[in-house]
Amino acid sequence: MEPPKIWREKRQRYLALGISCKKCGKRSFPLSEYCPYCGTNDVEEYRLAETGKILYFTNVSMASNEMAFNAPYCLGIIELNDGIKVTGQIIDCDYKDLKNGMEVKMVFRILARDGHEGLIKYGFKFTSI
Amino acid sequence: MNKVGIVSYGSYIPKYRISVEEIAHIWGEDATELKNQLQVPKKSVLGLDEDVVTMAVESARNAVNLWDGDPKLIGAIYVGSESHPYAVKPTATIVSEALPTGKEIMAADLEFACKAGTAGMQMCFGLVKSDMINYGLAIGSDDSQAKPSDPLEYTAAAGSAAILIGREGIIAELEGTYSVTSDTPDFWRREGATYPSHGQRFTGKPAYFQHSIDATKGMMNQLQTNPSDYDYVVFHQPNTKFPLSVAKMLGFTKEQVELSLVCRHIGNTYSASSMLGLNRILEKASSGERILMTSYGSGAGSDSFSFMVTDKIEELQAYPFDIEYYIKRTIDINYGLYTRYKGLLK
Amino acid sequence: MRMNGKNVFVIGTGLTKFGEFYDRDSTSLATEALNAAINDAKIDRSSIKSAYFGFMISNSSPHSAFSSKCLRECNVSIPFTRVEAGNASGAAAFHQAYISLASGIHDCVAVIGSEKLSDFVKNGTIEKILGSTIDYQWEYEIGATLTSLYAMITKAHMREFHTTMEQLASVPVKNHKNGKENPHAQFRREIPLDRFLSAKRISDPIGRFDLATHCDGSSALILVSEDYLERNNGIKNKIPILSSEHSSDVLTLHHRESLTEFKSTVTAAKKAFTKVGIEPTDIAVAEVHDSFPISEILAIEDLGFFEKGEGGKATEAGLTQLNSKISVNPSGGLKARGDPFGATGIAQIVEIVEQLRGRADKRQVSEVEYGLTHNIMGTGALAYVNIFGQEEMEQ
Ligand SMILES: [Zn+2]
Repeated sequence: MEPPKIWREKRQRYLALGISCKKCGKRSFPLSEYCPYCGTNDVEEYRLAETGKILYFTNVSMASNEMAFNAPYCLGIIELNDGIKVTGQIIDCDYKDLKNGMEVKMVFRILARDGHEGLIKYGFKFTSI
Repeated sequence: MNKVGIVSYGSYIPKYRISVEEIAHIWGEDATELKNQLQVPKKSVLGLDEDVVTMAVESARNAVNLWDGDPKLIGAIYVGSESHPYAVKPTATIVSEALPTGKEIMAADLEFACKAGTAGMQMCFGLVKSDMINYGLAIGSDDSQAKPSDPLEYTAAAGSAAILIGREGIIAELEGTYSVTSDTPDFWRREGATYPSHGQRFTGKPAYFQHSIDATKGMMNQLQTNPSDYDYVVFHQPNTKFPLSVAKMLGFTKEQVELSLVCRHIGNTYSASSMLGLNRILEKASSGERILMTSYGSGAGSDSFSFMVTDKIEELQAYPFDIEYYIKRTIDINYGLYTRYKGLLK
Repeated sequence: MRMNGKNVFVIGTGLTKFGEFYDRDSTSLATEALNAAINDAKIDRSSIKSAYFGFMISNSSPHSAFSSKCLRECNVSIPFTRVEAGNASGAAAFHQAYISLASGIHDCVAVIGSEKLSDFVKNGTIEKILGSTIDYQWEYEIGATLTSLYAMITKAHMREFHTTMEQLASVPVKNHKNGKENPHAQFRREIPLDRFLSAKRISDPIGRFDLATHCDGSSALILVSEDYLERNNGIKNKIPILSSEHSSDVLTLHHRESLTEFKSTVTAAKKAFTKVGIEPTDIAVAEVHDSFPISEILAIEDLGFFEKGEGGKATEAGLTQLNSKISVNPSGGLKARGDPFGATGIAQIVEIVEQLRGRADKRQVSEVEYGLTHNIMGTGALAYVNIFGQEEMEQ
């Protein structure tokens, strides 16, 4: 977990930013300089909807080193209320209670910790409402 | 004189709970006696991916969402805690980016045991009143630490409260604030130490009670008010018994203090404790009602505040993520899981 | 049809045993495989003009050192290129080697796939390595692992097509049965269906034994163009590469419209079949990417062997067993042979070439006219499909 990368990505991770295209009107995630639909760079930052529903989900028991502190955890593809889809952890829940279509809300959590002395990476996750 | 007051408020309490029975069972203590003594049946515990920063952000976002104003207008953020995740690297900077406020903002982390959050409130009141900023955000957020088997273990909980202060759209106007401070070694944690130490019964009379009483009396004296002038009173809540006792000593009724006792549901959230109590009152109070709040921080000191609720309050009371919401959403854990969640397993 | 350049042939194959070799490094494995391929081709090693190495991560030594050491030990002094496409690095290296021959730049090249994954014994390391085959920033760093993404794909297939756990488990059961007859395979024993069904779920519905194991191994090929064959008479056992296609899809699963079809596989397969002028039903034997049970089911559907949604039923009905409707993964696949990422794509080709040469012994498929290989990266952001034919075939 290198400081420049954490720093460069912080706003996207904290605020869940995408873009809204001024030319074709489409919104997309993640943040990009050019619109993936029409190619213009006439785009503006767009903050994703904070609520949505679960499209697909599973649980993760074998996680990478930096995320093992939190395992096992639930993970899903979420369709937000603005139609944008993102991948995210679904936390504070029991896997067996999750259902497709369940409503979730974006929350601010720790994504990874670089040991006891390194940086802490924060970002968005989801929780049932 | 410029008016200054609270313009919004937000709370956050993690979902996990451990009961007094679970902890008492580990140490062979009598749970019934402890519950009678502390009047805290269970306490909130932080999730594995939460810390003081994540709780501070959640409570701050709740305050900003309820307010529905532009966070770029916020000119200062102060986060009071005794469990900031970084010893060096401010929590306030992360909260600022996560709201997001603008970059032109004053920010600092504060430490004064359990009253660092209310110290932040006073700083914000001063900055707004002196026209240095338009809005200031004061947060108390703590993942309270207690040595396993220490009496504190039954109550040391986690939570966060954020109070947005300004001069426009005031829901509770500040009538006055009064502080007392003395060098009192009732509770401390040395740099690098994992757990706090404390002076057992010494934390009571000369510490919690004396400072809470002095600050509250000083404030009422300053404003020429009496306990009967207040509809609600809030004290720091290391357990449920202490605020009830200090209220009685000062001449307040049980009814005046009862609503503020968030501790009864989640335990002692240290820096967030009295502020969560205040938030609970703001969620229910009506225009024209008066609130008295006195925090306490070991070491030691108390900040007392007097508020007059305005007619704007009603606009800021219908919010889905209020204290009731967080109190109701719970997952009970046993002591085994608790040791993992608290990082006791090395 | 000459618009696709010169005809290209496989004339030599080499393969180490796959497994855990703590006492050997990448160079040792790659050298064994390349020497075997050169010996199999029966050519003068000075004929080889260039080498393409496919691997995802080298072990403790950097890639240039590993490739260079391997060539030195094989006594060939030629330029070399590393090709990296995650766990499809082998197929990617093969594709680049094919292009260099089809274009006429070279007339004889070596392709080497190698991986040394048993060096990574710490928990979570392989998950991190595989994290670079998916969207590292918005999947892996969010908490997704390759396995968890395949778990959601599996669930989607189960939801849309009523694919059952028994159908899914019949994939590794069949592949372990095939692997039993493959001397190069890491696992040479059958595993009963119940073992897969009763195992702990590591990412529901994927169980602990459902994953292909990440192991060590090397594979190598000697490829030549028609120019080389014109100048060198008497090259035997040459297997023509009838098509080598490469397609892509968006990297991130949440950007895809469907989780139950890998567009990259569909597109690469269409291009490959069109070029050769045959239908999926003409393929007698295929080596497909079965990193998870659902991977093989998606592959046999997306390659056109079975209708979309029928892959599970077909597998359970035995239609993909050795010498049935189509023999899928006679080598045992990634599951039983083991999956040393870079070595896998080339090992698949080795198997198909051996099948076409009629040298596959107990796992020989009868009457093989056409064989196919399919290797993908991550969740199918890249797919490689190759079709091979019989020696005498006109291209
Ligand atoms: Zn556009």
